[in-house]
Amino acid sequence: MRKFLRRFVSDYKEYFQLIILSIISLSILAQNEKPAAKHLKSIALGNFALLNEITNSFVSIFKGDESRDDLRNENAHLMLELNRLQKYRAENEELRSMIAFKDTSTYPLIPAKIISKLITKTQGNYIVNKGSNYEIRKGMPVINDKGLVGLIMDVTENYSVVQNLYNSNLSIAVTLQRTNVDGILNYDGNNLIIKDIPTTYDVQIGDVIETSDFSSLFPPSIPVGKVLKKELNVLGLLHTITVMPFADISAANNLFIIKIIPSKQINQLEMNLIK
Amino acid sequence: MNIQYIKPILFFIPLAVIQLVIVPLISISNIAPNLVFVLIAYFTLRRGQIYGTILGFILGFLLDIISGGLIGAYMFSFTISAFIVGYFYGENKIDINVSTYFLLFILFICGSINSFLFAVVSSSNSNLSLFFMILEEGILHGFYTALFGLPIVIFHPKEGI
Repeated sequence: MRKFLRRFVSDYKEYFQLIILSIISLSILAQNEKPAAKHLKSIALGNFALLNEITNSFVSIFKGDESRDDLRNENAHLMLELNRLQKYRAENEELRSMIAFKDTSTYPLIPAKIISKLITKTQGNYIVNKGSNYEIRKGMPVINDKGLVGLIMDVTENYSVVQNLYNSNLSIAVTLQRTNVDGILNYDGNNLIIKDIPTTYDVQIGDVIETSDFSSLFPPSIPVGKVLKKELNVLGLLHTITVMPFADISAANNLFIIKIIPSKQINQLEMNLIK
Repeated sequence: MNIQYIKPILFFIPLAVIQLVIVPLISISNIAPNLVFVLIAYFTLRRGQIYGTILGFILGFLLDIISGGLIGAYMFSFTISAFIVGYFYGENKIDINVSTYFLLFILFICGSINSFLFAVVSSSNSNLSLFFMILEEGILHGFYTALFGLPIVIFHPKEGI
């Protein structure tokens, strides 16, 4: 029997090896949120990102994308300010009160540069060259001079991982600026979409979409994108809205991290939802 | 660690930097080649299935921890796809496999499987259709990855590396 087993294992050793390694991989995949896994990732990321940063600075010589950081910073502030004013105008037109309207333009912005990108169709991630040394924390929103880009998902001493809008695990509470229709923005692998908006709601092509007051992850009124098209679902009762982001997510290079520390408890709950 | 794994790991370091810094610049609609997979496939075709599966596991782990993605996703996809690459291995077919255009075919098939598996394990979005996963996450990535086998076919040294 023992001989048979030994022979069996020997004959099929590559399959046993495959099964064992696959099980280990999947087990590790399930342990991603454990402190040990995060610690390991932080160490590896921190060290290797340095190599990426050096390569990136070399590459950026050819890209000709140095400097202009101050202008970009100012531009990002102006973008937030402009959007805030647009919101005021829309609200004034509707004679609404501005109770509990938060001012996003006053949050400090930390400029950061993307040093590497993980390119997959559904898992958009960046690594940026600012970390906990600059008081960056997990959950802080990331923008560029055009609009929302993503969310800080992991922080090491000198680097941070940003989950961008082209990540199917990221869901964002958004609102249509003109009509205050709320929805959840997701990435379906091809487009940013907002599902299940009743057809009775007033949604026009070109309407500006911004972060909602309901989100505790993102401050309200950060521009996200505009309505590109709306499609009826099978029953004709609901719309699926396709959104074109203002920020060019694929070509982004310089970002700003909004130094906002939202409510820890609500933040933790929302972060759990997007894990 | 066995000495025979050191050489691919040394190749892995610059390739991983290129994968994370330069490849995004040549990606088309978020479709990008996977250079690390080309490395794994190459060594699997030279050294066999068991070696390749372990190499896929190790390099997958390394790529996971340095890319900021989910730890285990590349580990799983590289392990399985290297195992499949291993079916093309033959002691008498090494040169045919790595220095002819057949390498591109292997890279296309196994690169597509690798990207598909990566998408399956790393995406929590249940709205993604199977068709989308196979075509856009699998085949298109596999095709782009296979193109990067061309330099190996053209410049492959006839003696072992």
